[in-house]
Amino acid sequence: MLTRKKVDHFEKLTGQLTGIHDELSALAKKTPNDAVNLFKLKFVNAVLTQCNELLGSDYRPFGDFKEFDADTLPSNSDVTFIASQYLQALEKFRSDNVIQSKTGWWVYAVKDGEEIRAAPPAKLER
Amino acid sequence: MYVDPFLLWKSPSQQDKALHLAMLNSFNHLGFLAKSGKAEEAISQLVLASECDEVGLGVSARREGRRIGREQAQEILDLFRSVPEYDQRGFHHFEEIQFYVDGISKDRISDFSCNFIKSFLIDFTIDQSEALGIPLSDCVVSSYYDPERHSFISDFPARLPVNPDTGFPLLLVPKRWLRFGPWISFEEYFKAYCPRDEIFNPGEPPERVRVLNYNRNHYGVVETYIREKERTAADCHTDPLFTQIPVLSAKRKIKQIENLPSGNVAAADRRYEETAVQLLSSLLYPHLDFASAQSRTDSGVQIRDLIFYNNRSHPFLAELFAEYGSKQLVMELKNVRDIEREHINQLNRYMADELGRFGVLVTRHELNRARRQNAVDLWSGQRKCIITVTDVDLGQMVELFESKQRSPLDVLKKKYVEFRRDCPA
Repeated sequence: MLTRKKVDHFEKLTGQLTGIHDELSALAKKTPNDAVNLFKLKFVNAVLTQCNELLGSDYRPFGDFKEFDADTLPSNSDVTFIASQYLQALEKFRSDNVIQSKTGWWVYAVKDGEEIRAAPPAKLER
Repeated sequence: MYVDPFLLWKSPSQQDKALHLAMLNSFNHLGFLAKSGKAEEAISQLVLASECDEVGLGVSARREGRRIGREQAQEILDLFRSVPEYDQRGFHHFEEIQFYVDGISKDRISDFSCNFIKSFLIDFTIDQSEALGIPLSDCVVSSYYDPERHSFISDFPARLPVNPDTGFPLLLVPKRWLRFGPWISFEEYFKAYCPRDEIFNPGEPPERVRVLNYNRNHYGVVETYIREKERTAADCHTDPLFTQIPVLSAKRKIKQIENLPSGNVAAADRRYEETAVQLLSSLLYPHLDFASAQSRTDSGVQIRDLIFYNNRSHPFLAELFAEYGSKQLVMELKNVRDIEREHINQLNRYMADELGRFGVLVTRHELNRARRQNAVDLWSGQRKCIITVTDVDLGQMVELFESKQRSPLDVLKKKYVEFRRDCPA
C-alpha cells in the first residue's frame, strides 16, 4: 500500500525521468552515439537509483541493470532507451496502485484512505 | 618553430630582457666593427652567426643548414651606413634586417638569436639535462659568442647531450621563446603595412625586392610598423609545440579511414597509418603527448608504429602507469581485415620494460573469438594488456572530440574496462 509521502516521491521521480528522457531524446536524434557527459550522467544515475528503490525487484525493467557505468561511456541513445524503459515501469507501478473512487475519479490507493487524484492508467487512456 | 627575439624583448623576466640586450649589443657591435675598418672581421662573425645547427630549429631534415654568403653579410652590414638611424643608434630589433636584405627570414633571425646567446643556451641545456636526467657526453661546440671579447670562440669543449646517431651536440631552447614566425615579420609588413601605391606602378607585379629597396630610403615606414608591433606586444604569444587538427579535419580523416580498403592495395596500409597517426595524436592530446610515429628501438630492429609519452595527467593514465609500468604508450596500427596471432605477438614483443605492459592495437574490426582469447591469455599469464581500437571506436572518439561531452581518451578507458571484464577475476 502507498503512503502520501511515497506518492509525492513517485510523482517527483516521474517528472524528473520524463525531463531526462525529453532532453536526451533531443540530443539522441542529433548525435545518437555521442557520449553523455559526467555531469548529466551523475544526475541520471541518482534518479535511476531512487527509481530502483521505489520500484523494487518486481517492477524494475531489467534485473541486471541498476545504473550506468561512467567508464563504459553510455551514449545519448543508451540513456534515452533506459529512461523510456523506466518510464514504462513507473507507469505499470502507477497503474497497479490507482483505483476508481466511488465518485468515479481515479485515485492512488493510499493506506489511510486519503484520496489523491491520479490520471487513469495509460492503457485505459488509449 | 623558431626563436623569436621579440618574445625575449617583451618578456617580463629580467633575464630574458638582458639576453635580448646582449643579443642587440653583439649585433650592433658588428656595425661598429664594420664602421671602424674591421669589415672583414664583422663579415666573418656574421657568417658564423648565421647558422646554429646545435639548436636545429627549422625545416631541414638533417638539422644542418647553410650559412649566408659573404656578399649577403656585407649587405647586412651596409645597413649600418645606408640607414642613418641605424648608423646613429644601431638596431632596437635586429629582426628589422628582414625589411632590407633579400633572403633573410625567420630561420636566419632565429639562428642569429641563438648564436649570440649560445653561451646561455649551453648553461640552460646542462641545467635542464641534469634536472631531467638526459645523458651528457663530452663534445665540442663548433663556435660560441663571447660577449666579453665580442667575438666567436671556436671549438669549445663542453658536456652536452648528443645526437646518438651522429654524436653531434644538441642545445635546448626555452619553450617560451618559440613561435612559428617572428612577431616582426616581413610577410605581414608586405601584405598589410607597406604603401603599395607608392612602391608599385598600377598593374606592376608586387616584387619583394622593390619593397626592400623602398624601405632603405623610407625608414619612417618601417619605424611606424615596428612601433605598431611594440604597441600590440601583449598579443604576441609563444606558439604551442603541437596543435590539434580542427574538428572538420578530424571528421574528414575518419571518413578517409572508413573508405580505405583493408590490406595493402594501392598503399592503403601506409595511408591508413598516416591518417590514423594524425588523428590519434590530435584526439588524445593533451593527455597523451609527444606522439612519435615509426619509432625505432635502440637496436633499430623493431619499429613501433606510434608511441605516446604518458604524462599521467588523467586518472586512467596514472592507473596504466601504476599497474603496467607504462611510461610510454605503444600503439600498433594494422590495416588488416582480421588480426592474426602474429600481430598480437608482434605488439607483445614491443611491450618491454621501458614501454610497460600495456599496448593498443589499432585496426579495422574487433578481434575474433580466438584472438580475443589470445589477448586474455596474455593478461592471465603475463599481466600484459592489449586492447583493440577499431574504426567504430575512432568514429566515437571523433564524435567526442567534436561534442566535447567527454574526452576521447575515455574511449580507450572504455575498451580497457571491457577487456578487463573478459579477463578472469
